[in-house]
Amino acid sequence: MIVGLGLLAGGAAAGLFGSLLGLGGGILIVPLLTLAFGLPLITAVGVSLVCVIMTSSAAAGVYLERRVANLRLGMTLELFTAIGALVGGLIAFLLPERVLDGLFTVLLVYTAVTMARQRSPAPAPASAVAAPDPVPATAAVADGPIGEADRDPAEDPHRPSPVPGPAPAASGAHVFGEAAGGSALGPAPRPPFLQTLSGPDYRVHRFGFGILGSIGAGLASALLGIGGGLIKVPVLHVVMGVPLRVATATSNLMIGITASASAIIYLIRGGLDPYTAAPTAIGVFVGASVGSRVAHRIDLRILRGLFVAVLLYTAWQMLQRALA
Amino acid sequence: MTQAGVGEPVDTAGVRLERSIARLLTIGTYLSIALLAIGFVLMLATGVSPLAGTPAFDPASIPADLLALRPLGYLWLGLIVIVATPSARVVASLIGYARSGERRMVYVSIAILVVIGLSVTLATGLEG
Repeated sequence: MIVGLGLLAGGAAAGLFGSLLGLGGGILIVPLLTLAFGLPLITAVGVSLVCVIMTSSAAAGVYLERRVANLRLGMTLELFTAIGALVGGLIAFLLPERVLDGLFTVLLVYTAVTMARQRSPAPAPASAVAAPDPVPATAAVADGPIGEADRDPAEDPHRPSPVPGPAPAASGAHVFGEAAGGSALGPAPRPPFLQTLSGPDYRVHRFGFGILGSIGAGLASALLGIGGGLIKVPVLHVVMGVPLRVATATSNLMIGITASASAIIYLIRGGLDPYTAAPTAIGVFVGASVGSRVAHRIDLRILRGLFVAVLLYTAWQMLQRALA
Repeated sequence: MTQAGVGEPVDTAGVRLERSIARLLTIGTYLSIALLAIGFVLMLATGVSPLAGTPAFDPASIPADLLALRPLGYLWLGLIVIVATPSARVVASLIGYARSGERRMVYVSIAILVVIGLSVTLATGLEG
């Protein structure tokens, strides 16, 4: 019973911190299960995929209801994330655990460095960030771009933000957009299908890069049990010119299919442990819901600094496993 | 809030489809949470340790486990529901886009389902 409640509490903590910091859940759940509970990495990845599907489905439901996500673009790109996840799910069972530990170490360090470089947003009024229901908070856990792009659902998602916001990518998108298409909304000739994937106030560019990024995100998701937002959101936003909020929401939508393509393989091949998955997934869901309600009361700068230290310590632990 | 800007026509079929999919995703998530929660309570009640090891996935035993209030039936069903929810969303999209005559999105939906089907087939084949 104690272990079950420990997993529930650990999942809740992962969901809470993920929600507060806009991190992907997998990056917290996999180390928790391997380092604290001694589970094999492959089992931890399977459990993490379940948590990722759950939180992304809940969040995507809210994003679609509010018309923030771009369904056509998300579905078109998720075809390629699913292909990447299918390949990743198959090779995950062939790779030595040391290799996966090593890959996860790289991911942790990359995330810690990205977080450390991130500027803190100004404190927002409670009314702007408090979620009306517990579901939207899970967006951050499912697919955090390590930003707060999804904190204000009242804003028009298809209008480029007048303020660059916490992510340097916001200004980068404009630069890349112009480089790719002449001008962000200019009359450059475009394939008709790209017009159907664009929004009323933005145009999608560089679809080929989107395909490559999606395949990479699918591979990473299947191998490491993460949502892949670390890859997809920058690709959508910086490279393809999609506004940050729409990129976050659309990436979240794509995660469900991405993770389920590999989770099916884990399920059938005995890599999905229901006894561990249940308390962890319930905990993550509850923690993420709580996180959305308290986010505006917490000084994220201190929390972020603490979390960078935790990520680096975890990376060190994972590196030791990889080299053991 | 709508996707269309000021003065632009609102894609009513698209709005309906997105709302239907949103409901489907929400229902799938909460149904899965409920099943996993029941399974977890039964785990605690029967003293099953979460670290007991991964049991073999046997879908045929789920109905009997559900009727006998064994935790494994609820846990497997909860996992199946959550893993299948995104695919159900693609099926709903396929139907919606077919009704509105968006052939390109119909093909995309079918291709996604083919990849998912391939996952099942390859995993089953490798396991066998």
